[in-house]
Amino acid sequence: MKETIIEKVKDLFEDSRIEAFLGLKEENGQIGPYLFTDPKDLEGFSLGDKEWPGDKRYPLSKILIALAQKYPENRFGILVRGCDERALNELFKWNQLNEEHVVMVGFPCPQELAEACECPKPYPESLVVGEKVKGIKSKKVEVILNMGMEGRLKYWTERFSRCIKCYGCRNVCPVCFCNECELANDDLIPSGEIPPENPIFHLVRAAHMAGRCIDCGLCEEACPVGIPLRTLYKKVADIVDSEFGYRPGYQKDQKSPFNILGERPED
Amino acid sequence: MTNSIDEIKYADCIFVIGSNTTLAHPLVATRIFQARDNGARLIVADPRKIQLASFADLYVRQRLGTDVALINGMMHVILKNGWHDEAFIGERTENFEELKKVVEKYTPEKSSEVTGISPEDITRMAEYYAKAPRSTILYAMGITQHTTGVDNVKSLANLSMLTGNVGKESTGVNPLRGQNNVQGACDMGGLPNVYPGYQAVNAVDIRTKFEKAWKVRLSDKPGLTLTDLFPAILEGKVKALVVMGENPLVSDPDSHHVEKALRALEFLAVIDIFMTPTAEIAHVVLPAASFAEKDGTFTNTERRVQRIRKAIDPPGEARQDWVIIQEISNRVGYQMNYSSPEEIQNEIASLTPSYGGITYDRLGGEGLCWPCPDKEHPGTKFLHKDRFARGRGLFHGIEYIPPAESPDDDYPFWLTTGRVFVHYHTGTMTRNSPSLDQEMREGYLEVNPADASAIGLKDGDKAKIASRRGEIISRIFITERVDKGTVFMSFHFLEARANVLTNPALDPIAKIPEYKVCAVRVEKWE
Repeated sequence: MKETIIEKVKDLFEDSRIEAFLGLKEENGQIGPYLFTDPKDLEGFSLGDKEWPGDKRYPLSKILIALAQKYPENRFGILVRGCDERALNELFKWNQLNEEHVVMVGFPCPQELAEACECPKPYPESLVVGEKVKGIKSKKVEVILNMGMEGRLKYWTERFSRCIKCYGCRNVCPVCFCNECELANDDLIPSGEIPPENPIFHLVRAAHMAGRCIDCGLCEEACPVGIPLRTLYKKVADIVDSEFGYRPGYQKDQKSPFNILGERPED
Repeated sequence: MTNSIDEIKYADCIFVIGSNTTLAHPLVATRIFQARDNGARLIVADPRKIQLASFADLYVRQRLGTDVALINGMMHVILKNGWHDEAFIGERTENFEELKKVVEKYTPEKSSEVTGISPEDITRMAEYYAKAPRSTILYAMGITQHTTGVDNVKSLANLSMLTGNVGKESTGVNPLRGQNNVQGACDMGGLPNVYPGYQAVNAVDIRTKFEKAWKVRLSDKPGLTLTDLFPAILEGKVKALVVMGENPLVSDPDSHHVEKALRALEFLAVIDIFMTPTAEIAHVVLPAASFAEKDGTFTNTERRVQRIRKAIDPPGEARQDWVIIQEISNRVGYQMNYSSPEEIQNEIASLTPSYGGITYDRLGGEGLCWPCPDKEHPGTKFLHKDRFARGRGLFHGIEYIPPAESPDDDYPFWLTTGRVFVHYHTGTMTRNSPSLDQEMREGYLEVNPADASAIGLKDGDKAKIASRRGEIISRIFITERVDKGTVFMSFHFLEARANVLTNPALDPIAKIPEYKVCAVRVEKWE
């Protein structure tokens, strides 16, 4: 799979469709994001599998925002899984990236990872290699719903109380791009204490994930205290879907219900 | 740490004492939460009701500086109930009778009188710790920063040996080191009495080995500890000082005394990445490279030696530490001619048995944990597997000694110091970070609600806090986190320097000051 992707990326360079490719590279026994500007460097190219499939994933789309701001004229290729593609689709809609300047090079996740993620769409539309893998329906949301109201409150209170306010969930999130973050708004959530005021801190973040979260799960992976954020946001996504018929990242032409400005209110 | 970080998640009982783990060592806390989710028992002993306390199966609040009495009380219960590991004691240890004799006196009732913890809780602590198949102890500066710091650590070692909880997976006595490379700095002989790898300076064969390697005559006498240094300056025994990545003007106890000493020096040079208060009064400041601007290794709390790689060039005139040291050395008359950190690493391996097999070509990925004596050695996950470094583990009978200073009519409160979650040490780095600064711009004194109302203080009021060494002004934060009669303050803030107040009384062996206990007066300030 890797070789096919490398060939594809080389073609993109050769055809002058991109000036750089954002992917992953293994170096000194570590896998990390890497901006390939020379096809010759692709020898160390990695799909992010170290000890198990997809254990080294990074928010490449978020890194691309920073690169695009620095090099607005350049065109970038980018390695995408299903979730990365969904993130990019949202970022195009929110005008964080120019679609014309981005070429996605997609590959499917293995079934094992799809199951661990309970991912409904573990492959991108922009597949250049591999087969479309079967989507998985989440059971984790159900498990928590079955705890009953009291059990759920107890469960989430215990989990939220572990928070050390490291902002890892926000900082790794591919669709967190606000210049001013409400989580750092002292009037809303008093600063200087851990755990941060609960449940407001985590509910503010959950509310901001509505219509935005593309279910990549990087937040939960980054969380050092084991708060099941992905499960929380999966439920948020279900609510948005049932109320507005919208699933972030799936349709390119459909805007988020929170992205549409209504009629100007009368003065 | 005797054991490695990841082993914590497979422990059956975790005893955290004097460590605010979620705040100071979050990735160790990760494993505590994982262990707890796997069904492990958690015991937390801390004078402050820290975040981790609310997750504990048993949280106890000992009075400041009473750890020896608490641990002796636990051991008394263990021995009385026969929960000790006779086989381990017989095969692996010595001097057990002395321990037994001392511990016999520390009934739960006596221990309770000293610590303020109920005899029932002391018994439960002993039971949880002793009866679990694998129990591990995690501690930090809450144990060491006392005039009885060495006694406290020895007591924890006694407890682990008594129950056979050392030299095995997911057990051990685990000090959580504060800085990313404080373990490495100690390993490299950044202590006054040892060469790299804890090789004693007063051992003839060791000295000869280093003299031969470095082609120079070496002293056979230990140097001064940091805390002995300031009095020595004022006595005229030390005239010049080079300070590297330290800010003693804010970090050391009894700041006024430290400042007087630093100003008395004929020559003071400071090497740092920022202009610290200590650097402000130096004759020469040498700008250093940050972690992202240098090559080399860090050795973390689990003895893991890891490579760091330069990502960007140091700004302006800043240079890497080894270059600065080499340049100073060459100018003061000892020629060094290293060309790279790797060359230095090879010298370390050739002179330091525990680092003997650690070379750059082996340091990809996760790095290596010492002892790693040779090229084929895979590194050591946990220490003391079949024998202790000295052979048999030595029990010490240790009596409880009260802290050097206790509250009285003039200074009626206990003061203890520590960290807050966003700031690190003297704030040299963290207070320069806009996001961390925004999270907390000034320090505060934690006061129990009952005490605050007795003094007439409201949350956010300013208070004057005085000890026998000096006084400072700080806002107060009213919280049940501290017990009645105890106040807490962080030491990050120059404007409200907790170390103006702290007691420079030292542990007689380690010479560590008693940052965790002193007596203060708190008054309203307007």
